[in-house]
Amino acid sequence: MDLILSAILIFVAFVLIFLGVFIIDIIRAKKHNQKYRFKPMLASFLFLLPAIVLAFFFVVLPIIYSLAYSFTDYNLLKPEQISFNGFDNFVKIFKDIASGGMLSHAIQNTLLFVVLVVPLQIGLALGLALFCNVKVKGNFFFKVCFFTPVVISLTITSYLWLEILSPSETGLLNSFLGLFGVAPQDFINNPKMTIIWIVIISAWQGCGYQMLIFLSALSGIRKDLYEAARLDGCNAWQRFLHVTLPGLRPTLLYITITVFIGACRIMVQPMLMVGYQENSVTLSYLMYYEGYSKHYVGYSAAIALIMTIVIGTITLLQRKFLGGKNNG
Amino acid sequence: MKKSKLLVLGLLPLLLASCNTTNGEAEVDEEGNAIVKVLFHVDSKSKEGIAYKKLVDGFNREYASEKIKASATFKTRTAGGADYQAQLISAKLDDALADVITFDAPNCSSYAEAGLLHDITDEMTSEELDDFISVNTYQERIYGLPIQESSAGFYYNKALFAQAGIDVSGYTVENPWTFDEFKAACAKLLAIGKTPVDMRLNATKDETATYLLYPFIHAAGGSFVSKDGLTCEGYLNSEASIKGFQFFKDLVNANYTSYSVGDNDFVTGKAAMYLSSGWTIPELDNNYPEMFPNRDSWGLLPYPKDVNRASATGSWSYAVTNNHIQDKTNAIKLIKYLTKAESTTTVTNATGMIPSRLSCDPKYAANSPEAVLFEQLKQTGIARPETVGYPEFSTNFRNIIYKLKDGNVREVVNQQTANLQSELNEYK
Repeated sequence: MDLILSAILIFVAFVLIFLGVFIIDIIRAKKHNQKYRFKPMLASFLFLLPAIVLAFFFVVLPIIYSLAYSFTDYNLLKPEQISFNGFDNFVKIFKDIASGGMLSHAIQNTLLFVVLVVPLQIGLALGLALFCNVKVKGNFFFKVCFFTPVVISLTITSYLWLEILSPSETGLLNSFLGLFGVAPQDFINNPKMTIIWIVIISAWQGCGYQMLIFLSALSGIRKDLYEAARLDGCNAWQRFLHVTLPGLRPTLLYITITVFIGACRIMVQPMLMVGYQENSVTLSYLMYYEGYSKHYVGYSAAIALIMTIVIGTITLLQRKFLGGKNNG
Repeated sequence: MKKSKLLVLGLLPLLLASCNTTNGEAEVDEEGNAIVKVLFHVDSKSKEGIAYKKLVDGFNREYASEKIKASATFKTRTAGGADYQAQLISAKLDDALADVITFDAPNCSSYAEAGLLHDITDEMTSEELDDFISVNTYQERIYGLPIQESSAGFYYNKALFAQAGIDVSGYTVENPWTFDEFKAACAKLLAIGKTPVDMRLNATKDETATYLLYPFIHAAGGSFVSKDGLTCEGYLNSEASIKGFQFFKDLVNANYTSYSVGDNDFVTGKAAMYLSSGWTIPELDNNYPEMFPNRDSWGLLPYPKDVNRASATGSWSYAVTNNHIQDKTNAIKLIKYLTKAESTTTVTNATGMIPSRLSCDPKYAANSPEAVLFEQLKQTGIARPETVGYPEFSTNFRNIIYKLKDGNVREVVNQQTANLQSELNEYK
């Protein structure tokens, strides 16, 4: 009941802010002696309302609760015993990092994953898009092939890759290597290789989606620019560097940001393929484990809050440095 | 403006409607029956689900005159059961928890400590308790009654054992093989070019490794946690426990097992033994006619002993919840109906698992795999540790198994013990 009541109060506050914006809009218009067209503005606000209500329930409300929980000792099995514990969860985070516990492994693994998967996935997607952009017979077939992994569930692809990487001599990759006399390898459970394999699998699965976006952006680059470059004596690489890449810049920024954010949330593949181990734990996996298996929602929410701040900051920096004048 | 206000105001009743207004009394249907709700963890169309439906129907017939009616909900659990647990937690948060639930036995302590489960100690007679092979307790109070029981053992390929010249006829539940005899058998199997045993050391992604391997630590004389379940220092890393973990490492070092035994190596004849629970019996009976055409081609051996005999136990259980309904009488009636001998037999006939009550008298053929498991359960079954920090225990146990592959046994066990202790300290 408390939860429902607090949700209603937050919703009322949210609506009041919404109305406040509306009123400020009117005041501002009057200040500048502009005629405020009430009805069209009301209509536009009403059109926005469904999206705002959905955003409130599925984005704003969870963020507010998560923020609030991060300052509590909320245990999922004992919600009635929730109490404010100040910065205890944040102190615990730094203690865990300092002690080299699971959190420090999660940070290292997530960082390594992000650093490797973002360029690899974007590079692959761009390469595939350039390949599919060439108008040759049958390239629709390749597009379908490259996009297929995107529509297959992460669970299924994880289990498929487990079969490929099975440490048994009957595993697909080991069987192949066995033809050359190589002894069976435990690919995914090798502590030094776990994240590398998860990077490869994630990039393979995800790049088809970004390929489609790149393809769409490539079709928007004017053909006369290529002709002009050709007339100026540019070779293929120079045309790519001076025509294609600048033409893809806004798309590249969007893809970099979305792939980066998605990479920071990696969880399913390590969870299904390796389990909760030092060499496989990631920040999202750790949050899930702390929140659902150990029931420490407060601690889990504190990690989520710090993670959100870090991702948000890096995303803004990406916009500033990659976005050019318009996005900076 | 009027319209937008109406829209905003229109949402409030929706929010209020989702709020479960309860008065602590059971729901009553149009015919005046008091409804008692039960949540099961399986698909309603599975064999097990159909058995539960049958039980619920039987309960409704038996209690029709008392105007009590059970209403069943089925939430299929997937691997690890996390989604089922999420359903329980969500129901608790919404104050909509069913009167009776099923739950995985090792979660008993954490659920009981959190107040999710109702203490049924005073509802049980001594005759009833004597009839159960085990019940789910926390701080010496009863919170759950098992639906069925489980036990595990070593499935073995009789042809390969004969080829290696291994005679296992003397190894019984009363007098099981020793750790050394187990290793000696492995050496002979290795000599004929087979992987001696799949110890399931790679089953660390979920509870499987914990369930199958913890008895070896008891067998070596070790233990896991103190009686209150909050101290593992000196227990998990005691000399005896380390000796138990060393047994796994010895098997790996001698190439008797490995972390890369294929899932199908036993059923394709590459591995001679396979550590698994009772659910493998119907698989071997039905799925591999070429390798295992009948029961003369495979057998089941008990867990080996060192200083103790010990074997795996534990399955899912029923519990009455501490939900908003004040009067638990009907829920107690339902849980007692669901766990009576006839009901237990109905479920175990569907699942092939071991009954949880001695009076079920399953009449297994002498020396059959089922009889070995049933006897082993009765004589040597030891439950997984009773601790509110069971999820943490299981994770750290699996981490030990995972890290033994490359690490030093003592160092790995000490590291995970320190880790688990710091996690258990948070419950103190």
